[in-house]
Amino acid sequence: MTPTATTHPERLLEPDWAEITAITPETEDISTFWLRFEAPAIQEHYRFQPGQFNMLYLPGYGEAAISISSDPDESRRLVGHTIRFVGNVTRAINRLKVGDLLGLRGPFSAPWPMDAIEGKDVILASGGIGLAPLRPAIYHILRHRERYGKVILVYGARTPRDLLYLNEYEEWRKADIDVQITVDHADETWSGRVGVVPMWFYHFRIDPRKTALLTCGPEIMIRFVVFEALARRIPTDYIYVSLERNMKCGQGACGHCQLGPYFICKDGLVFPFSALEPYFNVEEY
Amino acid sequence: MTTQSEILAELEKIPWFRELKAEHFQRMAAIATLRRVKAGETLFHEGDKEDYLYIVMEGRVALDMFMPHRGKVRFYTAEEMDVIGWSSVTPVVHQRTAGAIAVMDGLVVALDAEKLRQICDEDHDLGYLVMRRLANIIAGRLMVTRLQLVDMFAHPDKEGGND
Repeated sequence: MTPTATTHPERLLEPDWAEITAITPETEDISTFWLRFEAPAIQEHYRFQPGQFNMLYLPGYGEAAISISSDPDESRRLVGHTIRFVGNVTRAINRLKVGDLLGLRGPFSAPWPMDAIEGKDVILASGGIGLAPLRPAIYHILRHRERYGKVILVYGARTPRDLLYLNEYEEWRKADIDVQITVDHADETWSGRVGVVPMWFYHFRIDPRKTALLTCGPEIMIRFVVFEALARRIPTDYIYVSLERNMKCGQGACGHCQLGPYFICKDGLVFPFSALEPYFNVEEY
Repeated sequence: MTTQSEILAELEKIPWFRELKAEHFQRMAAIATLRRVKAGETLFHEGDKEDYLYIVMEGRVALDMFMPHRGKVRFYTAEEMDVIGWSSVTPVVHQRTAGAIAVMDGLVVALDAEKLRQICDEDHDLGYLVMRRLANIIAGRLMVTRLQLVDMFAHPDKEGGND
């Protein structure tokens, strides 16, 4: 795996400046922002691993934790962030143009365990913008396809209009990734699957002894995906969940993102379900 | 026209049919027919009289409801081994509450609903197995409906969070 290299390990609260080099509209309220550091030396040394996030800073508005959605092996060139415009910071970012600057701190968090799941069949179960932090894992698998068994991406969105990265599915399929798409609702022109992500488990057989599950999306989707995975006896050490909370500092100092004994930003975002089980699906948490 | 041996071969592929006693299997086979469907072909319309319970063997069948000013809204797709039209076995409204249309070429097993109700009434052991299976199917469908109902992809900060 590519090691992680933060921009300033000794000054983790201080952002570096990065220029927006391109903006790729994904859906009505989601775009991918491609960033390059102003300082070439920082760009050259910047590394991230699949599943990590950066804090993006816009002066006058504040910071937002955004998953990195690009190829980790391309981090010397550009870093992609797929952003949904839902709050004050992200709505202000939506008004930026190519050439504008954003502050960037990171990368933060534990990554997807790409080394630990080598040799396994891999199910990537994601919903909505939850596909963004899984896309770097997909790129990693594409580059090292021989290291993994069957790879199945189960991806759900509210409607066909809300599906991310539509133009990449064909390439992923060519690389022997079984891409299974489902939407919650559709009109009669949609001939694909209508239902929800956990439903996928009803239709496909898996060998739990050699299967790893990586899941990211709305927490209620994750809950039901995990139920189905447990019902099929996938070991809890091989069910990996990416959670989000109110991440602010990115280094487990401020406490905003606490879940039980964990700081999501530092101890997660990715957890094996065996670690989360006591706090999962408990109302107080 | 399908032969009885073709029907039996298809029924044997259905996991819960394999658990039936030979006598029960034969009773189910006697009320089953096979139907090949083409993409775009309607199995039933919303409001139709309920006549068959279908098990999808191949292809994909979409369920939809007509909404005034919106047209047909597709809310579920059934695939291999999915059951559709379960309300025909536990009729309440005596008409289809959704329409079903094949979105891919496929094959379905059609079980005569009236005869199925009759043999379940006559043989409660078989009736229990059928109803237990239908309860599983309805529970799964309820889970899907709940997740659709909560609109899980709506963002909690939609109306003005900080991020």
